[in-house]
Amino acid sequence: FVSYQVEILDWKTKEQLCFLDKVEPNATIREIRLMFHKFYPQWYPARQSIKLDPKGKPLRDEEILQHLPVGTTATLYFKDLGPQIGWTTVFLIEYTGPLFIYFLFYFRMPFVYGLDERFSSSPHPVVNLACICHSFHYIKRLIETVFVHRFSHGTMPLRNIAKNCLYYWGFAAWVAYYINHPLYTPPSYGKKQINFAVIMFLLCEAGNFSIHVALSDLQRNGSKTRKIPYPTKNPFTWLFFFVSCPNYTYEVGTWISFTIMTQCVPVGLFTLLCFIQMTIWAKDKHGTYLREFKDYPSLRMPIIPFLL
Amino acid sequence: MAGPSLRPHVHWAQRHRELYLRVELSDVQHPDISITDNVLRFRAQGHGAKGDNIYEFEIEFLEPVEPNPVCRVTQRQLNITVQKKESSWWERLTKQEKRPLFLAPDFDRWLDESDAEMELKEKEEEKINKMKIESRVPKDPFRHLKKGYLVMYNLVQFLGFSWIFVNMTVRLFILGKDSFYDTFHTISDMMYFCQTLAFMEVINSLIGLVRTPLVPAVVQVFGRNFVLFVILGSLEEMQSKPVVFFIFYLWSIIELIRYPYYMLACIDIEWKPLTWLRYTAWIPLYPLGGLAEAVCIVQSIPIFSETGKFSLGLPNPLNVTVQFSFLLQIYLIALFLGAFVNFRHLYKQRKHHLGPKKRKMK
Repeated sequence: FVSYQVEILDWKTKEQLCFLDKVEPNATIREIRLMFHKFYPQWYPARQSIKLDPKGKPLRDEEILQHLPVGTTATLYFKDLGPQIGWTTVFLIEYTGPLFIYFLFYFRMPFVYGLDERFSSSPHPVVNLACICHSFHYIKRLIETVFVHRFSHGTMPLRNIAKNCLYYWGFAAWVAYYINHPLYTPPSYGKKQINFAVIMFLLCEAGNFSIHVALSDLQRNGSKTRKIPYPTKNPFTWLFFFVSCPNYTYEVGTWISFTIMTQCVPVGLFTLLCFIQMTIWAKDKHGTYLREFKDYPSLRMPIIPFLL
Repeated sequence: MAGPSLRPHVHWAQRHRELYLRVELSDVQHPDISITDNVLRFRAQGHGAKGDNIYEFEIEFLEPVEPNPVCRVTQRQLNITVQKKESSWWERLTKQEKRPLFLAPDFDRWLDESDAEMELKEKEEEKINKMKIESRVPKDPFRHLKKGYLVMYNLVQFLGFSWIFVNMTVRLFILGKDSFYDTFHTISDMMYFCQTLAFMEVINSLIGLVRTPLVPAVVQVFGRNFVLFVILGSLEEMQSKPVVFFIFYLWSIIELIRYPYYMLACIDIEWKPLTWLRYTAWIPLYPLGGLAEAVCIVQSIPIFSETGKFSLGLPNPLNVTVQFSFLLQIYLIALFLGAFVNFRHLYKQRKHHLGPKKRKMK
């Protein structure tokens, strides 16, 4: 039984920050992080990036000391990732904002459209429908964040939250302003357009939810290894035959249907930006799948069947 | 006054057709090198084995050489290349049998006769291979047509802008400042023609007819045409403002340099003064032109605000409001950022084209 010694150096200055004596060979990086945290209470484990090489990739929590390419005296490098915030917390803040901001415009708070229009309601039923759909979308997202999603990384840097909130909250306000405006014009093709949009909206929301559930089931056993997602008995998941990230496909579909429902250019712009962002994420994910699995289904495209 | 002359260290090597002499002197400014009666005479001020001094030497060559040596000066040494009159292998460098004390073989460049012959053979083979490859790629049958079209395009633009420039200059002399106010009225037709034709530059880049990358061409053409058609063309009030004179004048001066340069470049002619102008004139002209365009936009913003032109108000079926004056303000910011990027690129281009020259011996 040989006990290891671990020294932790700053990745830039290479000065020794901490020396751990008598470390068990089967200690995990998570345990080492906790030990380091005792020496430096301000650097909680989520903030620590521990690497074997100063310029390399950070080590995962589950890695075991004796399986690493180190001798009995291991040298690890530490980098401070800055204040971190949990993914769950981030999503909760990001999604609650638009929910309540939309209500400010729907109920026509006096500071929005002026005192004359305060608290009035719109004569168009589609405006009420839009509010219900928008709220439904964000409530669904909040529920998924709490009960369904399993996040591979626990945290993200704190400054990201300002950037993300600005984007989501800002767009929610801009979109809500026009839909709930006293001079709002309902869609040109009337009831036909609205009904079509509602059906498309519901189908896409159901599809998006099905995919999230399917993805979360993949990780059910708590294993951190990635697996290829496959279609299940649920017809909505059959999109997996054609696409690597059907959740993004359905999400774009939801926003397209909302654009058709409200016939509002700012909504269309938001849909476009969503589409661009999700295509980037989908291509990334698709590339990761292709690299990790040699037998990855060749029919699949990243986000749009056969096209993109 | 001068003591016995100092000799620098000289290393030599040969090939069948030429001789290489490497003189170990650093910081040499103006070497005095000449060959008369087959004798190389060298004299220079520099830093050598005996410090900073005047060094000189003479070498009488074994066989006849061409009397025009080529010298390349670097910080640490001088490299002199001398051509032999006849291609042969010399058993020694100097006519005298005894090797001068300052002369030594240059082992870095040394080759013996058989190796030098192999080097020659390899060079010949390389040339033959290159010719084979070039003859396999067929020459573009349309290249004369393409060149002709490009020359015509550049010529037409040059003539158009010359007309504009001459017209504006003459009117400036005759009417003075009063010519500012009806510049648009007199010049706009020709300017519309030239700038509409300028869309061809985008197409030329798109189909690969010219080597200019697509994005700068698009930015230039659309930027100018935006000012011309949207800001000036649609607002009568803007057309009588003095800034129009400056915009048109600066545009035409820039184009009077750019189009002839391209025209000559198409037929592989380079006129050095024009090249210098093309890569230098932008330094005053582009910032001034950009400034004039910015002033024009700033002056137009209140007009767009008042008249609501190109703006969309509620209610409308798209359920959006567009304030053109707001978009123009954003455009101004983009203009300044774009200018910085453009100028950095042009500065790099300038360094590349008017770059460092190799020093030749007098």
